[in-house]
Amino acid sequence: MLAFCMIAFMPACTDLEEELFSEVTADNFFQTEDELISALGAAYTSLYGYMGTTNYWAAQEVSSDEMVVPTRGPDWGDGGHWVRLHQQLWTAEDPTTGGTWNFLFGGVNSCNRLIFQFEELGNPLTDPFIAELKALRAIYYLWLLDVYGNVPISTDFTDTNPPATSSRAEVYNFVESELTANLAGVSANVDGTTYGRVNQMVVQAALANLYLNAEVYKGSPEWAKAAAACQAIITSGNYSVEGDYFANFNIGNEGSSEFIMAIPYDAVFAGGLNIVMQTLSYINQETYNLAAQPWNGWCTLEAFYDSYEDGDLRKGQANTEEGPSPVRGNFLVGPQWDVSGKVRLQDAGTAASGTDPDGVPFTFRSEINELFPEAWREAGARNVKFEIEVGGQPDMSNDMPIFRYSDILLMRAEALWRMNPNDAEALDLVNQIRDRAGVAPFDALTAENLLAERGREMFSECKRRTDLIRFDKFTEEWWGKSAQEDCKELFPIPKSQLDANSNLVQNPCY
Amino acid sequence: MMFYSKSACRKRDKLFKDAFLFITSFNLLTKSEYCMKLKVDLLSRGLLTLILAIAISSFTFAQRTLTGTITDANGGEALISATVVVAGTAIGTITDFDGKYSLEVPADATQLEVSYTGYATQTVDIGNLSIVDVALSAGAILDEIVVTGYGTQKSKEVTGSITSVKAEDFNQGNVNDASQLLQGKVAGLVIARPGANPNGGFNIRLRGLSTVGASTEPLIVIDGVLGGDLNSVEPQDIASIDVLKDGSAAAIYGTRGASGVILITTKRGVAGSSTVTVNSQVTFEAVDRVVDVLSADEYRAFGGGNDRGSSTDWFDELTDTGVSQIHSISLSGGNKGTTYRISGNYRDVKGIARTTGFDRLNFRANLTQKALNDKLTVTANLATSRADASKGFDDAFRYATIHNPTSAIRDVNNPEFDKWDGYQQEVLFDYFNPVAIIEQNTNTQQDKTIAANIRGDYALTDALSVGVFYSQQRSNEDESWYYDKNSFFVGQNRNGLARKFNREEEDQLFRLEANYNTSLEGNIDLKVLAGYEYQDFAFSGFSVQGGDFLSDAFGANNLAASNDFANGLGQIFSYKNTNKLISFFGRVNLNFDDKFFATASVRRDGSSRFGADEKWGLFPAVSVGTDLVKVAGISGFDQLKLRAGYGVTGANVGESYLSLQRFQPAGNFFFNGGFVPSYGPASNPNPNLKWETKADFNVGVDFAVLDYKLTGSLEYYNSTTNDGIFQFNVPVPPNLFPLTFFNVAEVNNSGIELALNYNVDLGSGNTWQIGLSGSRQFVPELVSLTDEERGVSLGGFRDGANLGSPGQNGTPLVRLEEGQPIGQLWGLVVDERNPVKEDGTWNFLDVDGDGTVDDLKDRAVIGNGFSKYNFGLNNSFAIGNLDINVFFRGVLGHDMINTFRAFYEAPGAIAAYNILSTSADISNLVDQPQFSSYHVEDASFVKLDNLTIGYSLPSANLPSGFSKVRLYVTGQNLFTITGYSGVSPEPRLTDEDFSNFGSLAPGIDRRNTYFSARGFTFGVNLGF
Repeated sequence: MLAFCMIAFMPACTDLEEELFSEVTADNFFQTEDELISALGAAYTSLYGYMGTTNYWAAQEVSSDEMVVPTRGPDWGDGGHWVRLHQQLWTAEDPTTGGTWNFLFGGVNSCNRLIFQFEELGNPLTDPFIAELKALRAIYYLWLLDVYGNVPISTDFTDTNPPATSSRAEVYNFVESELTANLAGVSANVDGTTYGRVNQMVVQAALANLYLNAEVYKGSPEWAKAAAACQAIITSGNYSVEGDYFANFNIGNEGSSEFIMAIPYDAVFAGGLNIVMQTLSYINQETYNLAAQPWNGWCTLEAFYDSYEDGDLRKGQANTEEGPSPVRGNFLVGPQWDVSGKVRLQDAGTAASGTDPDGVPFTFRSEINELFPEAWREAGARNVKFEIEVGGQPDMSNDMPIFRYSDILLMRAEALWRMNPNDAEALDLVNQIRDRAGVAPFDALTAENLLAERGREMFSECKRRTDLIRFDKFTEEWWGKSAQEDCKELFPIPKSQLDANSNLVQNPCY
Repeated sequence: MMFYSKSACRKRDKLFKDAFLFITSFNLLTKSEYCMKLKVDLLSRGLLTLILAIAISSFTFAQRTLTGTITDANGGEALISATVVVAGTAIGTITDFDGKYSLEVPADATQLEVSYTGYATQTVDIGNLSIVDVALSAGAILDEIVVTGYGTQKSKEVTGSITSVKAEDFNQGNVNDASQLLQGKVAGLVIARPGANPNGGFNIRLRGLSTVGASTEPLIVIDGVLGGDLNSVEPQDIASIDVLKDGSAAAIYGTRGASGVILITTKRGVAGSSTVTVNSQVTFEAVDRVVDVLSADEYRAFGGGNDRGSSTDWFDELTDTGVSQIHSISLSGGNKGTTYRISGNYRDVKGIARTTGFDRLNFRANLTQKALNDKLTVTANLATSRADASKGFDDAFRYATIHNPTSAIRDVNNPEFDKWDGYQQEVLFDYFNPVAIIEQNTNTQQDKTIAANIRGDYALTDALSVGVFYSQQRSNEDESWYYDKNSFFVGQNRNGLARKFNREEEDQLFRLEANYNTSLEGNIDLKVLAGYEYQDFAFSGFSVQGGDFLSDAFGANNLAASNDFANGLGQIFSYKNTNKLISFFGRVNLNFDDKFFATASVRRDGSSRFGADEKWGLFPAVSVGTDLVKVAGISGFDQLKLRAGYGVTGANVGESYLSLQRFQPAGNFFFNGGFVPSYGPASNPNPNLKWETKADFNVGVDFAVLDYKLTGSLEYYNSTTNDGIFQFNVPVPPNLFPLTFFNVAEVNNSGIELALNYNVDLGSGNTWQIGLSGSRQFVPELVSLTDEERGVSLGGFRDGANLGSPGQNGTPLVRLEEGQPIGQLWGLVVDERNPVKEDGTWNFLDVDGDGTVDDLKDRAVIGNGFSKYNFGLNNSFAIGNLDINVFFRGVLGHDMINTFRAFYEAPGAIAAYNILSTSADISNLVDQPQFSSYHVEDASFVKLDNLTIGYSLPSANLPSGFSKVRLYVTGQNLFTITGYSGVSPEPRLTDEDFSNFGSLAPGIDRRNTYFSARGFTFGVNLGF
């Protein structure tokens, strides 16, 4: 009988091949032109993790003096990791430590895989993608260099041995050589065909960031190279400072003349920008008719809020007892109103209590009473720099700038100032930015006013941690946080990675 | 009033005959002794009179009278109250004090079936005789047929660990799921459902946990079809359930045997006149326990809350008495060539939570036909069901716990609430009016199943037969949700939200078998089995979700009316995956003169889910046994069988395609001014992915003493699982995807099981049967989770099972650690004598002794979620026409995290939520809620799980046409003794809510738990 089966149905009797229906393998995909373009996309869609709640965005902002996630009574305790992030007491197991690593190396891997695939294909359509992917990979490595410093350099998709840690200086050299080597290979176009992608100006901006922080990264400065890379962008004539600061952050900001590279977030196509959920109170659902209840978490430190002088267009004006502020700013403070602007919102269920001293009316205040455990629900100015859409989804449609022209101007100014504290061009560049913000020009540049101006301009754009380190202020004491050792300027290698790869070396401090 | 005279006994003879008829017609033949001595109490007399008044006449048809004596074949003593029945019918009687019987049999009767507790049942031809004497041999209990998978064995020959439960021993009452039948009945088998959710499934776990990543559910085999769903079989259609517990018994099922095997045999017709049974019951269920929160008055008195002026008991508003009914009818019968059984069942079940319940209609037809001089036997089974469920929203339980008791359900006079249809709501995070949730929104599901199989067996010679079997099963679940436009919970923000999810499962099985059964010289019985099996499975489904409706009129039935699709916000997905299993198997059974027994089996299993380099696995087993009574003539015992078995079983990879490198849609990429889809990695390749291997050693002793009155078995098992499937973080790079499944873990698991059964003769024909099944399960140990060769490791430990929002995300509850027990609860340790310090903060202990209390460093093992002891104690009384069943069930030694307390006990929480009454114990606490050992409780319990009292009408007084009338009442979950303060102390075998730890995180009582219920059932069994 078995013999009969064997003879009659031999193939069917013992065939154990798997048949796929709703997924693909490399064997049956990446054949047509459209599929190849969509393959390239994987390297860029990894970027949507940039603003993840426990990703790069949290590592750059909540660890700094411009943002904090206080424990608001029963909300946001979360095992203490938000408090640890702000106090720079993070561990190798904390969510932001692992999330940022996975986000960045996820991008590196997508690039490696696609470089390998496209090299194998040798297709004329995809050959130009290879330089672009190498440059993009270098940008992911630029951030790894910044956050973790000593990381493995992995460029070969076919090498399956777990890679070993490279020193921060080696990583610096790798990023520099990859960016310079591929500068000419990427598109020179600055238009819709390269929007959201790496073109030559993006490579220059990445180089500018690399050189500006060279002293931190490898121990010796490269101010002249930083100034030169910025100058290449400025003289290209592709960009200009927007007349309205918020043209960079409003809904529909994809047309901004300042965007060198931006992540094209979209509520429908490209989710991942959730500041609306992170920062607003659940009660603000009625302010903006939101599709979901916000989480009432992230806010700005009072000292940072106060670093803007009144009249700074970027600060905006607080709401009043009469109604919402007519002037848009980076922050939402004061009494909260419904979408009509006529009805004062009340947190109906809450009597005056430890977490809500003023009882029923709902008022955001810039003061934060404590970091934990009983921060008021209404404490802290909220971050509305990226315009909140009325009727919006949890995923916002504003695009997120990675490299912005105003930043390049400030970076060039800083590089020039570092070489010559009295450089006139440097002062002029900074005052261009101050002029747009409606505040008086500086007479001279100092470390203090340069860092503070960068803070006010670049608030909520994932720059603050890097800036503080470069100005040697990152580990100092500030609100809710005591001074830390300098080794906290690097995050720990995640425990999950150390467990999985014995060739990795943990950073000092951890 | 006591009767001892023969004439009186004869009267009662009739009563017993009636009782017997009821029971046989319901296929609930108990083997209790029906002695002639009987108390006829006033109650039964009264009922008798009542029934007499209803009774009209009795059938008469052509018949003759048979008489005879039933004796013990060894000593020749008369057997009192042995049962004598016309084969294939419900016509029968019971022998008197002298072992004599007198029975009127139909003219066409050909055979008598004679049975007696502890003796082998005999079937004898009656021809034209009018006197038929029968001598029975003792030890029938050893001749009971045990289903072993691809065959059967006599109980005495079994050398593996197999427990057989017959229909008469099943749990009774409001049973809607076949697994409920077995709860507490099988040593080592834990069946748990924390709440009384009528749509919630039971977790089934045999012999603890022996895997880290594979399925923990035993393989279900229904009438020879592998991979069935217990819930798809109507409980009333089941004749017996056999549980293969150890590796030597389960190895014949290869890669699917590691979690044990449960074999279901459905009822079949027997030759003879046709029998009709009707069973009807109605059940009233009430809430058993709820979370102890502050009432409105207590809330006001406590202070710190927000008095909104009303008084509402949210639990009371959420629940109601659940009234359920079950009706079933079956017709069975047949002749020498054909037997059949057809049944239909209808049930309408309402849960204690309003808007939860289902109704279900099942049909089953089983047919057996012999042909070609009885050499060919064809059996066919067809079963189909359809169920409509209203699933409600378990979230409502959580919100009822925390909702302000001074809020009103509705406030139609306040225009503020118009937008919510008048339901009072407060705008806080994750805080909703629970009554509004269940009244404004719907979640329904329709299930349809159909299963058909056909089997042909042909006897080539007396010894050799071949069989071919084909089965097909299909099931479809169609689930719908609709959230009202005016529902503050979900719907309002989406302007109405609808979702539909349709899932389809299909499988087919083809099997060839050859059986060779013979007797060799020296009284050696030899049975040989060889087979080939092919089974493939397909799973597919799709889901659509869209919101923004103009009207609530459509519910989820017109998704095109959702504006979300036009706006690109609608969500759609569909999937399909398949897998197949191919096997070759064989088995040899030997019986050396009833003295020595041996079984050896082997299975070669191939699965499409295995990696390319590991497509086939081999699963051998061997077991031996010897009856010392037969071999050495040990006195004092009727049986003393020692047995030992060793077997290798496997656990398959949990999903298809895990060994392949796959890509899946990964967002959209902005290309040339528009978004195009991109594809990214979904997994890493692993051509070495294979089954988990479990090697299991089992020793046991089966014994019978006191003329088989006391029987039992005691056994010990110890298993080691290797190549456990676990998902590891892998370095990124060089891997594309940060997670890969590897075969790495080693787990050790052991335990002891005891089963005892004692038949007590209460005199006067009354019996008391005591059954005890108990187990001591040792906590499984994670021996290793490291493979240095492949460079994967747990890194010593991994924490998981997050407590959750609000405020306690990033709070793992469980630690998995190499070299340590699995199921370790993990957290800060509070000083139990003084949990709160004088300054109002938590008094945590400095576990690591470094002088400071640190949120991370001072965590420790604070319990274990696995139970240590499980037992079921059953008492069955047969007293006159009454049958009484009292069933206690207990689970001891498991710890439980009461997450309600972890969130809602801190007094300060009253500013936002209602709090638990136990807040008074820590009234000076000013700290926020923070999980610690303070919230871990011993959840040991013993409960009176089931109490049934039945009364069978005497046959002499039965209404015309009836062969049986039994009335009964059952109480379920009547009382529980436990120190656990939560809703239900039933063990939580797996953590489903927020955790990826699943079965590695037992002992967490999550907040969405459906409440437990107490039920009373009133029913009637009728036979015609």
